[in-house]
Amino acid sequence: MIELVYSPNWFHGKDIIIDTVSIVVLSLIAFFSIRCYRIDKENKNYLYLAISFIVIAFSFLFSIITNFTIYYKSIETANLGFLTLTYQAMRSTDILFFIGYLMHRILMLSGLFMLYCIYDKHSKSGMFLGLYLILVSTYFSRSAYYIFHLTMLVMLLIITLQYWKNYRKVMNKTSKWLFYGFSLITLSQIVFIFINTNPLLYVAAEIIQLLGYIGLLITFIKVLKDGKKKGKK
Amino acid sequence: MERKRERSDIVLDMLLSIQGRGGRIKPTHLMYKANLAHQQMKAYLEELVGKDFVRKVREKDYEYIIITDTGLKFVEKIAQMKEFERTFGL
Repeated sequence: MIELVYSPNWFHGKDIIIDTVSIVVLSLIAFFSIRCYRIDKENKNYLYLAISFIVIAFSFLFSIITNFTIYYKSIETANLGFLTLTYQAMRSTDILFFIGYLMHRILMLSGLFMLYCIYDKHSKSGMFLGLYLILVSTYFSRSAYYIFHLTMLVMLLIITLQYWKNYRKVMNKTSKWLFYGFSLITLSQIVFIFINTNPLLYVAAEIIQLLGYIGLLITFIKVLKDGKKKGKK
Repeated sequence: MERKRERSDIVLDMLLSIQGRGGRIKPTHLMYKANLAHQQMKAYLEELVGKDFVRKVREKDYEYIIITDTGLKFVEKIAQMKEFERTFGL
């Protein structure tokens, strides 16, 4: 059985705003990366980064659809009270919920896996193995939600470690901000693992995730500003 | 080991060299400043002229290469791109 709502009632809808902020930040970086790829087609990593960020952004889009169906369902049941009507509404939103739920998880894990592959090149068989593990962990996360967050945590830890190594190599402020941003997103997954123990942990995890994406936005703004400054020297 | 300069690195080095000389430079100076062989520089220069990033002008029997506004904007774009590449370790 899939548990529907971890969020406290007063937080309903706020998580949709947080997901929207994440989509905007991811899209900004992805489109900039595509612009870079159009200038320098030799560096395919620009394209891979853009694709992985777009896939993660789509994952958040499905998360929003899922949340909408959950909140819509509770409103519909509360307001109508006609048994047949309520039943029909639940049937249609259930399908939307299930598709949104699965797509959110598959796309999120696939996007992170693509991002991880930029820094740790794999053979084709390694890629297939990775995708297989993503599907398996998505399947099992239907009965145990924390498997999804645990898988995300492992992937994010490896990616964040790469950004830490990169910061040590280039030693500039923007790469430090990138490391901070990803560290917060990673931390949010640790909190997400325990959300069934207390609804407030869901709020905390969402806020930490939001701060992580704000960190990414600051990184992006600093990249543009510092680049402009260097170009004018 | 030193990383091989990519195409975008060479273009940026050339444009920055011109910009660093107040927007105009002699071809031989550009060749040394951007650390290029003669044939290499010729090919890159043709490309930059074709894209309207630089212009060739003659003044008092000397040829100069001048960076255009489009070139200046492109320098900014490439500098941002390089910063992005460095930050994300791409």
